[in-house]
Amino acid sequence: MAPKASLKGKGKAGKGSKGRKEQSTANCVKEWSTWAMKKAKVIVHFGFIPLVIVIGMNSEPKPSLYQLLSPV
Amino acid sequence: MGSNVRHTNEPQQPALGLAAVLPPKQDEKAEPAKVDWLNLPCPVPFEEIQREAFMSLKPELFEGLRFDFTKGLNQKFSLSHSVFMGSTELPSQSSDTIKVPTAHYEFGANFLDPKLMLVGRVLADGRLNARVKCDLTDNLTLKINAQLTNEPHFSQGMFNFDYKGKDYRTQFQIGNNAFYGANYIQSVSPHLSLGSEIFWLGQQRKSGIGFAARYNTDKMVATAQIASTGILALSYVQKVSEKVRNLLKFLENFNAQNLYSHKKFWHLQVSLASDFMYNHLTRDVTSSFGYDYILRQCRLRGKLDSNGVIAACLEERLNMGVNFILSAEVDHRKKDYKFGFGLTVGE
Repeated sequence: MAPKASLKGKGKAGKGSKGRKEQSTANCVKEWSTWAMKKAKVIVHFGFIPLVIVIGMNSEPKPSLYQLLSPV
Repeated sequence: MGSNVRHTNEPQQPALGLAAVLPPKQDEKAEPAKVDWLNLPCPVPFEEIQREAFMSLKPELFEGLRFDFTKGLNQKFSLSHSVFMGSTELPSQSSDTIKVPTAHYEFGANFLDPKLMLVGRVLADGRLNARVKCDLTDNLTLKINAQLTNEPHFSQGMFNFDYKGKDYRTQFQIGNNAFYGANYIQSVSPHLSLGSEIFWLGQQRKSGIGFAARYNTDKMVATAQIASTGILALSYVQKVSEKVRNLLKFLENFNAQNLYSHKKFWHLQVSLASDFMYNHLTRDVTSSFGYDYILRQCRLRGKLDSNGVIAACLEERLNMGVNFILSAEVDHRKKDYKFGFGLTVGE
């Protein structure tokens, strides 16, 4: 553990704070993109069919709500 | 001058007998048109290179009951309800087939516009199947295809960007699990087009390249595909239609009273297809032969396989908008027999 710690210390001192910033930016970007993909997946999963229905109900000629809900 | 006048007078005379029904044989005697090498036709998209062969040889076979109801609310927007009760096969390692009885209800909404197409299907257990096709410009199209499930890590999605040039097409694909692919197809002559594709799978660090060629005339289509994954696929489709249709038209004139019953054969198109696939890694060879009869009231497809599989699929139009479907697949080698029937209501 001790040699490792010393190596880490040397590396950090050598590269300065820039290396830490780059590493954490890359990690941040990865984390945020994963978070964004997860949220996007949930949004698409719940919202795609309602989106199609809304776009369809607003197209010409406008169908009525009764036509949407009745089975005939 | 005199002979020219006679030539122009001929079409004005009333044609008699057989000449009224059979088309004039001018197209057979016409000289082959000169090839304009700068104006070649646009080729079919790369993934549809074997479209005719797949339409005949891979019909939608199912086992059980299937009921589809499509309700159109206006020209562009429609809802669909679909019920399925039957068995689905689970992929198994051994040669036994494992069938699980399933029943599901699927609700779908479709919006079809010339520039934007949205198709969504959701099952009762929450699985969503979504397809989007959007024309960003005249030549650039974006297609999105996604299957989303409630279970984590089982969802799949794919983005395709298609660009259509004057005599070429190119496509770039991005998929989940870091899948990247690109393909390009170019018309080399009025009948021949050549294409190639490459793909890279990020998660498994696999990449592949493939080449394809398609030769088609009015009457036949021949394709060949070879890929670095060790697959070679050849297919040939022959269309048999014009002369048979005209012969039946001629027969109909003799039975002038029974015009209605002969209308069943008015639009007749027969395609015969054959397919050969060789997998170098698993040393698997499969060949199949199939036919596709498109008649006015029904469509009948059948195929015979070298794995001992015989399949047939019939779609019969009972009434305007009501189709009756029968599907049968008999696998002699695995002793697996699948029969299905269903009804499709709506366009």
